[in-house]
Amino acid sequence: MASEKRNGYKNRTLPDIQCVLELAKLESKDLKPCVQCLFFSGQLENDSFKLLELDEPVLQALQSGKKVEIRGDPSENAVLVTDSATYELKEAETSNSMLMLPKLTFGPDLHGDGNTEIINREVTAVVHNYYELRPIKPKLKKLRALLMENPYRGKECEGDEQDTYQNHTFAELQSTVQASDQEIKAGLAKINACEIQGFWRLLDLEYSATVLYHIVQLCEERNWFIEGLNMEECCEVLSELFPREVVEHMVRSHSKHDDSCMETDNSSNIFYLSEDKICKHFAEMCLRHSGKFNLSDFLKAWQESVPHDMKTSFSQIQGMALIDRDSNPEVIWYYNVDDLPEDINERFEVLFDEKKRWSLEEITPYVRDLTDDKTDVGALLTKFARASTQNGIKMFSSRKTS
Amino acid sequence: MVQIIVQIPTEGKECKEWAIVELQGDLETRHPVPLNHNFIGDLHFTHQDAPVLIIGHHILQGKVISLEKPLAVLTKCSEANDSIISAEDTSSLSHAAHRSSYQVKAIIKRKILFKTRPKPIIAHVPKKL
Repeated sequence: MASEKRNGYKNRTLPDIQCVLELAKLESKDLKPCVQCLFFSGQLENDSFKLLELDEPVLQALQSGKKVEIRGDPSENAVLVTDSATYELKEAETSNSMLMLPKLTFGPDLHGDGNTEIINREVTAVVHNYYELRPIKPKLKKLRALLMENPYRGKECEGDEQDTYQNHTFAELQSTVQASDQEIKAGLAKINACEIQGFWRLLDLEYSATVLYHIVQLCEERNWFIEGLNMEECCEVLSELFPREVVEHMVRSHSKHDDSCMETDNSSNIFYLSEDKICKHFAEMCLRHSGKFNLSDFLKAWQESVPHDMKTSFSQIQGMALIDRDSNPEVIWYYNVDDLPEDINERFEVLFDEKKRWSLEEITPYVRDLTDDKTDVGALLTKFARASTQNGIKMFSSRKTS
Repeated sequence: MVQIIVQIPTEGKECKEWAIVELQGDLETRHPVPLNHNFIGDLHFTHQDAPVLIIGHHILQGKVISLEKPLAVLTKCSEANDSIISAEDTSSLSHAAHRSSYQVKAIIKRKILFKTRPKPIIAHVPKKL
């Protein structure tokens, strides 16, 4: 039997319950003998609870004691992040009343026979809304914008009149960028940021070119392109010129990563520089500040700028430069996907502003980063572009009629 | 930016399970009195484990539903707890001021949904016609 008196409640008695059942024309023999009487709690806490709908990965993260955080800014929508993923938080309202019960027994756990049992159950809150989670791609544009404020131009420039002292530790980035830690790390890697004395910095382009130039010189001198670069030795030789972190960063970010032999050689400090990455860097140096460049002049200048034995190819500069083959002479200009908006609609608008018609091959490097598991490049184009055939080639243009 | 940590206090282990009884519309009293301590209704289960709830003179037939996505019940951490956290966290003082946290008080995996129109109980059938 239930406790006779609990503070504040008028307990239900067996006759009370049976009387109601009779009036309701329900037969007690059809029901399990256990009755749960619902009461409002003495302290209703309707506003102190928030309900959050959990995705399986979030639930798992919580249950394994991992960090789950809500990050918000007055100017941005709140997001929830786990170690590896970002979710948008959306409030959902329902006209139904949800009564919250810390204790309740469900049918299968109740005895089917025996004496009638009366149990009091407390409703501690009545809730009409909850928060839903929707996985989103994190907005990492801010990361680049933040680090661009004060690029690293070398240790002798630290503290000079151009230094704004606006540098950021990882913890500061976590609190500013609405993305999970893993996504922030991936974002930093993508924009090629380097950790220097605890701060995440972008290397000034001219400066990184100087560092790379020295590394390349050293490689040619010691035949490291073939034999592999010895990191220890490389840092040692260049230590008077550049901080170790910077040299190491430049070597790593211009090495072959997909190479399986990388893993084993990493421990022995041997790195193989990537032809594609080095060539891309030199192309960027040529194009970055030069506006439209005569294509054949560029190709010649570019090939001459890269180390001997390296071969330049168009595939190396995909997503970094555009070529107009219809103009006379043919021209190339700097156009980097990293400078374009993250928002899909805005991205397509900017792309079609730059160039009215794109072939699939041309546009792919400029939208590939917007794809996810569900949407590939083809699906994106179906949704955001208009396809037409020109001289037998499928071309994509803006859906907007101009 | 505001950073709010969400966690299960016992480091993820053994979180309580709560339940929801969901009703269409709102529960109101005839007179505007506080709901605290008030009796709501009797919850029965049939031998087939179907829930039946009697509220006032309404009979509600419901269904037990396992939530596709479970709900976490979050409560904001008390001030006292906050100050402990920020005291420990002196290394990142500038952030401590903005840090607050939510505790996952319980997880809700099942609810009883009463979505059909309540059947009225006709209590006073005139005995003599």
